[in-house]
Amino acid sequence: MKNFTTKISSLFLLFSLLSVSIFAQIPKPSAPRSVQIPAVQEKKLKNGLQVAVVERKNVPLVTVRLLVRSGADSEDAKLAGLADMTASLLTKGTKTRSATQIAEGMEFLGGSITAGAGWNSSTVALNVMSDKLEQAMAILADVVLNPTFKQDELDLLKSQNLDGLKFNLKQPGFLANYVAAKYSFGEHPANGTPDSLNAITQKNIIDFKNKNYTPNNAVLIFTGDISAKNAQKLAKKYFGKWKKDKKSGTEASIPPTSTTDNAAVVKRILVVDLPNSGQASVNYTRNIFEGRGNSIYFPASVMNSILGGGYSARLNQEIRIKRGLSYGAGSSFAWRGWKTNFSTRTQTKNESAAEVAELVIEELKKLTETDVSSDELVPRKAVLMGNFGRNLEANEGLGFQLSEFYSFGLSPSQLNSYMQSVENVSDEQIKQFAVANMKGGDIIIVGDYSIFKDDLARRFPDMKVTVIKADELDLSKAGLK
Amino acid sequence: MKKITAFLSMLVLALVLSQAAFAQVKITPMNIKQRTLPNGMKVISLQENSSPTVAIHVWYNVGSKDDPSGRSGFAHLFEHLMFKSTKNMKSEMMDRLTEDVGGFNNASTYDDFTNYYEVVPSNYLETLLWAEADRMVNLNVDDANFQSERDVVKEEFRQRILANPYGMLFGQYIEKLSYTKHPYQRPGIGNLDELGAASLEDAQEFYKTFYRPDNAVLIVVGDFDQKQFDDWTDKYFGSIKTNKMAIPRVTVVEPERTEEKRYTKTAPNVPFPAVVISYLAPTSKSEDIPALLIAESILSNGDSSRLYQEMIYKQQIAQNASFSTDIRVDRGLLYLLGIASEGHTAEELEKSLLAELKKIQDSGVTAQELEKAKNQLITEALQNRETNDGRAIAIERAVAYQGDPNTVNSDIQKLQAVTAADVQRVMKKYMTDTNRVVIYYRNAGGEE
Repeated sequence: MKNFTTKISSLFLLFSLLSVSIFAQIPKPSAPRSVQIPAVQEKKLKNGLQVAVVERKNVPLVTVRLLVRSGADSEDAKLAGLADMTASLLTKGTKTRSATQIAEGMEFLGGSITAGAGWNSSTVALNVMSDKLEQAMAILADVVLNPTFKQDELDLLKSQNLDGLKFNLKQPGFLANYVAAKYSFGEHPANGTPDSLNAITQKNIIDFKNKNYTPNNAVLIFTGDISAKNAQKLAKKYFGKWKKDKKSGTEASIPPTSTTDNAAVVKRILVVDLPNSGQASVNYTRNIFEGRGNSIYFPASVMNSILGGGYSARLNQEIRIKRGLSYGAGSSFAWRGWKTNFSTRTQTKNESAAEVAELVIEELKKLTETDVSSDELVPRKAVLMGNFGRNLEANEGLGFQLSEFYSFGLSPSQLNSYMQSVENVSDEQIKQFAVANMKGGDIIIVGDYSIFKDDLARRFPDMKVTVIKADELDLSKAGLK
Repeated sequence: MKKITAFLSMLVLALVLSQAAFAQVKITPMNIKQRTLPNGMKVISLQENSSPTVAIHVWYNVGSKDDPSGRSGFAHLFEHLMFKSTKNMKSEMMDRLTEDVGGFNNASTYDDFTNYYEVVPSNYLETLLWAEADRMVNLNVDDANFQSERDVVKEEFRQRILANPYGMLFGQYIEKLSYTKHPYQRPGIGNLDELGAASLEDAQEFYKTFYRPDNAVLIVVGDFDQKQFDDWTDKYFGSIKTNKMAIPRVTVVEPERTEEKRYTKTAPNVPFPAVVISYLAPTSKSEDIPALLIAESILSNGDSSRLYQEMIYKQQIAQNASFSTDIRVDRGLLYLLGIASEGHTAEELEKSLLAELKKIQDSGVTAQELEKAKNQLITEALQNRETNDGRAIAIERAVAYQGDPNTVNSDIQKLQAVTAADVQRVMKKYMTDTNRVVIYYRNAGGEE
């Protein structure tokens, strides 16, 4: 083997001699070309339905999204999952079409129709070849305007969701997010809990639909191979008769702002014990009481890009690239209108769970104590801008970005100002944001506790550790079990 | 993959499409240019100046099936090492040249090939051609980097295979139990023991054997000037000398199966029993592939598909039921999969999956089903080619599976030509009672 190594080296040497002029110097980039940001054309129907269109003809496809500005934020925690079940059941039967006919009709066109709800909004979306759009629109309008919410469809969906949850609750990464919803963020899981899913009735669903699915609480977004004129015509034809409601959607209740005086990065540790788990999920979570429309959005986004947004961000550098402790580590903000949920996430072998928790805390501390150099700031901003631009390349990504803006009541002109807003963020703003918010959070570890118990106690001797067995976890209880 | 692995090529099926007018929608053909450098490297390019980005793929004809003996998972581990230092680049410099300027990079190891790819603002094209050429010839990994990257791959194994309740089934057992001789029987992700045994010397040997211009194809799609691109390619890749050693190729042929084989496997935390029934597929160049793709769509593409309607919607015995074509250069797999819903069993799933198979073998498919499947596959193909990267992937798969990039412009006609009789014929030809492997998968505790 030694002999072989020598051969390889001499081979390298040979090439380096030959190719000194070629490989020794990195070619410099040429002048950049500017990115075309597509124009959004907006118009409101008489019933208040906002219609937005981005015309783009490179591929004969159209995406249509019907966005309702109410999601899990508008449901009772005891009925967690109601918004998502309501949206999902729209495509499971109307006055004139059965669930099978809806699926068959859309799939025969080569397209698909999907429906679901997140925290801030509910969506029904379709993607179809442009010559089949008219037929697809007829189905989309039918499921939004005439759903029947039949009991047998509700029963089937409920059992599917319960099965899905049972599967997910065996996975450390999912479990960590699930428990954080309640423990750290004072919310409920948008896809429900076993108890809440069981509690949802047909009446709950009909009530939720009637209250929230109104034209003045909705936006219809077209992206792709369609003219603005034609889109407006289709919107009027299929959604013009949708009756306006006097009150628009439910306003999510805004709990009082709570502050924390705790200066430490972490205030408590929660362990969910999942025996025989193949890995441990290690998360840091922090509730922040400022929302998407607030000026903190861009400093927070750039900070996240530095800390955990992307491959070369600090968490992945420290945990994966330098130490080989994980396949990946990252962080993100889940924005709401008036607050945001910050999380870091990574999975590691059970043996190194406590070590990884320490590394995460170290990185958070660094953000609050040290300035970000421009050598780091410039590329991390480029990451954010590059991702943003790439996500607009395909119709679905563009439609999704627009619906993000609309769900928070932001102007779609942010498509044009996004890059500049990122550019404008200063290192000072980032540090200010970190100092104010990257402390007093929670460490949540889900994994096989028997393996990391001693190491955790050793590394965090002064911290109270709460332990809950995964199969005893109950989010409806104050103590979580 | 470096970041998001697709060692399960069975989960990935890229459809390619072509010059064709289907219904009223016109599908523009890709005007690809092809040439071969004197050192044997093939270069394929598609100029597309609508957005100022460019997608660069370097495809190597080496995959998990080429893992050295006793080193299962090695081709994939090696792929990770290609992001470490070269004579001229520090470790992770690829990220500096892509991520830091608003682009991205990644790589993935399939059973049959490995690809490395970037999307960057088009003014960085020359820089990336330089970097790809540099790591083709000047890779220079040290032992510390090797050790830490091997740990990353072990974590990838734990995350995909151990932390996911069905990871052992999809990432280990299907391949291990479906093949008797062909190296496809060794899962691409490997296992913790054989990964642990891999050494830096193995990496050097592997690099010398497979990473060379006459075993690579460069595919570039996006915003560039053709002449300038050709000059850069000559300058950076043309200067690389090719190795005279013959490239070892897998020649083992998986024998036809002669009897049914049955297995039961368990893993911890499995919430619902599952069953997989696998059959050997024809090779990727077989004329029967289009008909199998249509069958796959009819059986399991969408809520109106047969398996969804029968097993999930009517009988409600499954939460997941599908028929998949895992097509490979050598014989891949066709498999039926069911995951039970609460209270139901693997036995019920098997019975129902086989009944649906028999139905399509005995009675074929309807004209309506056939047209629906074609519409679905063409729409998916269109979605896949919306971006420069999507178009590059389509060309790359044509290279990998058809050995000819031009099939990217002809495969759709083949799909359109499929008849109901073809679908019935191929489902009878490849799937019988005496050539299946049946795998039951259950919770190790026995309760769930």
